[in-house]
Amino acid sequence: MFRYLPEQASKVAPSVDWLHNWITDLSVLFTVAICGAMLYFAFRYRRQDGVDHETPRIEGSNFLEVLWTVVPTLICIWVGYYGIVIYQDMREGEEQALVINAVGKQWIWEFQYENGKQTIGEFVVPVNRPVKVVLTATDVLHSFFVPAMRVKKDAVPGRYTSVVFTPVKTGEYHTFCTEYCGTSHSAMLAKLRVVSESEYERWVNDRSQDLAKLTMSPAKLGARLYEEKGCNACHNLSGTRLVGPSFLKLYQSETRKFADGSEITFGEEEETIEEYIRESILYPGKKVVEGYPNGLMPAYEGQLTDDEIKALIAFIKQQDGSAATEESEEDSGEDLQAKLAAMSPVERGQYHYQNKACIGCHSLDGSNLVGPTFKGLYGKSGELADGESYTADDEYLKNSIWDPNGQIVAGYQPNQMPQNYKDQLSEEDLESIIEYIKTLE
Amino acid sequence: MSAGAEGVEHGEKNYLNHETTIWSWLTTVDHKRIGLMYLFTITAFFIIGGLAALTMRLELARSGPDFMTPDQYNILFTLHGAIMIFLFIVPGIPATMGNFLLPLMIGAKDVAFPRLNLLSYYVYVVGAAMAVVALLNPIDTGWTFYAPYSTQTKSAVILMTGAAFVLGFSSILTGLNFVVTVHRLRCPGMHWDRLPVFVWALYATAVIQTLATPVVGITLLLLIMERWLGVGVFDPAMGGDPVLYEHFFWFYSHPVVYIMVLPAFGVVGEIIPVFSRKPLFGYKMVCYASLAIALVGFLVWAHHMLVAGISDPSAIYFSVITFGVAIPTAVKVFNWVSTMYKGSISFDTPMLYAMAFVFLFMIAGTTGIYLATLAVDVFYHDTYFVVAHFHYTIQGGAVIGLIAALHFWFPKMTGKMYNEAIAKVAFVLVFVGFNLTFLPQFVLGMQGMPRRYFDYLPEFEELHMISSFGAVINGFGYTFALVNLLGAWIFSRRKATENPYNSLSLEWQTQSPPIHENFRETPTVDDYPYAYGTPVEGGGH
Repeated sequence: MFRYLPEQASKVAPSVDWLHNWITDLSVLFTVAICGAMLYFAFRYRRQDGVDHETPRIEGSNFLEVLWTVVPTLICIWVGYYGIVIYQDMREGEEQALVINAVGKQWIWEFQYENGKQTIGEFVVPVNRPVKVVLTATDVLHSFFVPAMRVKKDAVPGRYTSVVFTPVKTGEYHTFCTEYCGTSHSAMLAKLRVVSESEYERWVNDRSQDLAKLTMSPAKLGARLYEEKGCNACHNLSGTRLVGPSFLKLYQSETRKFADGSEITFGEEEETIEEYIRESILYPGKKVVEGYPNGLMPAYEGQLTDDEIKALIAFIKQQDGSAATEESEEDSGEDLQAKLAAMSPVERGQYHYQNKACIGCHSLDGSNLVGPTFKGLYGKSGELADGESYTADDEYLKNSIWDPNGQIVAGYQPNQMPQNYKDQLSEEDLESIIEYIKTLE
Repeated sequence: MSAGAEGVEHGEKNYLNHETTIWSWLTTVDHKRIGLMYLFTITAFFIIGGLAALTMRLELARSGPDFMTPDQYNILFTLHGAIMIFLFIVPGIPATMGNFLLPLMIGAKDVAFPRLNLLSYYVYVVGAAMAVVALLNPIDTGWTFYAPYSTQTKSAVILMTGAAFVLGFSSILTGLNFVVTVHRLRCPGMHWDRLPVFVWALYATAVIQTLATPVVGITLLLLIMERWLGVGVFDPAMGGDPVLYEHFFWFYSHPVVYIMVLPAFGVVGEIIPVFSRKPLFGYKMVCYASLAIALVGFLVWAHHMLVAGISDPSAIYFSVITFGVAIPTAVKVFNWVSTMYKGSISFDTPMLYAMAFVFLFMIAGTTGIYLATLAVDVFYHDTYFVVAHFHYTIQGGAVIGLIAALHFWFPKMTGKMYNEAIAKVAFVLVFVGFNLTFLPQFVLGMQGMPRRYFDYLPEFEELHMISSFGAVINGFGYTFALVNLLGAWIFSRRKATENPYNSLSLEWQTQSPPIHENFRETPTVDDYPYAYGTPVEGGGH
């Protein structure tokens, strides 16, 4: 009865649930027995026709008092004992565990791997290997909760805490913040992906994103930082108000009013818009825009290099309201071209998979998102929406990328995928992607 | 049945009409009037806190933002929590029913320090006024004021914690007054083993109020110092420790749970024997259980912090000791139910609430076992399971206890009888609405839904919808119950007799409503107040 716990995805989950379900069954038993007795007495000894009947003056029973003290005590000892044993099992495998550092900040989870790889809002671990997540926080209390793994621990500023778990199933799992931390507490989520050992190795050693950063134009790097550093949680690009002011036309604004009543006109006085943005990133409390609360934005002092600040400013500059800003960033630089040329076709395919947005809709782990997964795609056959059948060979894949609406797989929607890859990808690029897909068995 | 047997004649002097000016109310030192003033004040806050809860439930009915911003939601749950805890349920039963009944039940004319009693009311009013100003300012920390969020957020935290500090003093004064009253003012023959269980419960409560409240006072003062003077106590940025704050906070705020719920235990212990015409089963065990809960309640505070980063040995200690609360609580429940055995049971409204209390408290208690169990608490901490658990304890326990008490002693307090049919309809709405609100929240907790979330994943929507629906029904139930009572007081022509339920307890042995001095002559007692039924062999007291 009452079995609603989520999927058991960690080694300790079955024993937690075993104890949990025992408590449930005992609770239901006792509640039904006691309330049943109460209702039985109420019915059996009810006053009939409002007439009081004679009652015996029974004042108590030592035997019963002892009985109902001892029995609950024994049950509590049993439950409490296993609660402690299983709690200690939760640290199992800590010594040989894969260590990931997680930092909670208002309102993002940031993850750091031993080789320096960093992610935000998502972390990946291999299946069947103990994982230790070392937690801390930079601003206020947060709490790290992965229901499917049955672990939870507070992330406390100024100290380290940790959780250990051994995932036993691949898949995607929710991670929540469960210690109230302000405005966007309920949006402070992260995704845990449990993948095979080999896929994990590939993922953790894939530093192409970091590599690409070195060769990016400032505005493009800024766009990436905008997401990675969590700016997008509070500042959007569409002009509507979130927690903080929108970035739309921020760079193009001429004046700005602040909460303390002061106002600056950029260019006229000595302060430039660049200096204003830089100061607002590093020390957000100095100039708070009128109508917005102070103290919400973390100070980025010491967390960004000068180049990164410049990149963010370049990105903000780009938000001038002229549409399709993201598409205009196509000039990737000669360095990148050279680097791409030096790659093997499969590597190049992987690079395009990540940078041409395939990754947003086509997974590598077998799960079908907006589009079909790439895992095991090559050579697969199936049915199209129009009833025709297909086999995923080179020709089919090529047509699907260049003209996606030409052949929609049954169960998927047309018009989801960009129609302009023909302009974005050379024939060679296209082949490299197909080569990459071939490796995803 | 002794004093006041002349009956109640029309126009007879009583505590309500012996002076009638507003000034006489504002300056009264009569415990009965002070009890009523408390009752009206906290009921007003109950309504405000309840409306805040309803607004939240409406927002949460569907996934995604509906009609408020996250900040407004955060303000609202802080408002709900702070008002319900500090302004409503902590004064709750002791300050209202306790003030009214304690001297009556032990045959005294008033509490030991009547002026102090009035002072504690006004201290409460000042604290409440500060809290209202702070809450409207507004404040978004949650009622727990956890550092360092509370030292960093730009809201009226200083004023709110200052308010809680002042309210704490009101609580201490009441507690002190009750302890001395029980020790010094019992009438002849009212030995400790003849005290009504409600008095025992008030006594245990008063001890907690007096000993635990100063700690939260100091804690809140430290928090104020940190924000105001920059003294680093809790904020790691200033060299402090946020976990220390949690320790200090729960050292008070866990015992405070028993301040809320012990008096409700007392109420149920009074009602069941009267409507069963049976002695309270295991009277002494029930009294000792109250003291045991009060004592153990002091030792378990960090079970609110099992995943907060405390060491494994302390987590284990606090888990083990917490089970120590479960046992005296279970003993009480067994005794209440056994009291009904071979009784002559009538189902007047107070009895219905008392029986509902037993059911709701079984759920509150058994779900507490999950949270005491270390490995399971790791999963449940700060989820909806906890929200549902403490609402079963506080609303299902303390609030239902207060409503039961209001119905039971209404004839004594007002001299009128209320409409039984409407009261029963209200009872059904409250009972159904309450369970419909909070049973789904247990399931949400099992599925991993965290608390204090403005928005949630779409898969939780259905249960949230049911919960919100239940909250509306619950709200109607309380409205019916309160309007029925208030209406009866003002409009009803049905006068209450001295002792409409044939209780043996002292407060029913004087006129309804009682005279200003409570009793015409000092009563004497020669038995405990539960000597119902025909003596049987071996059933001596």
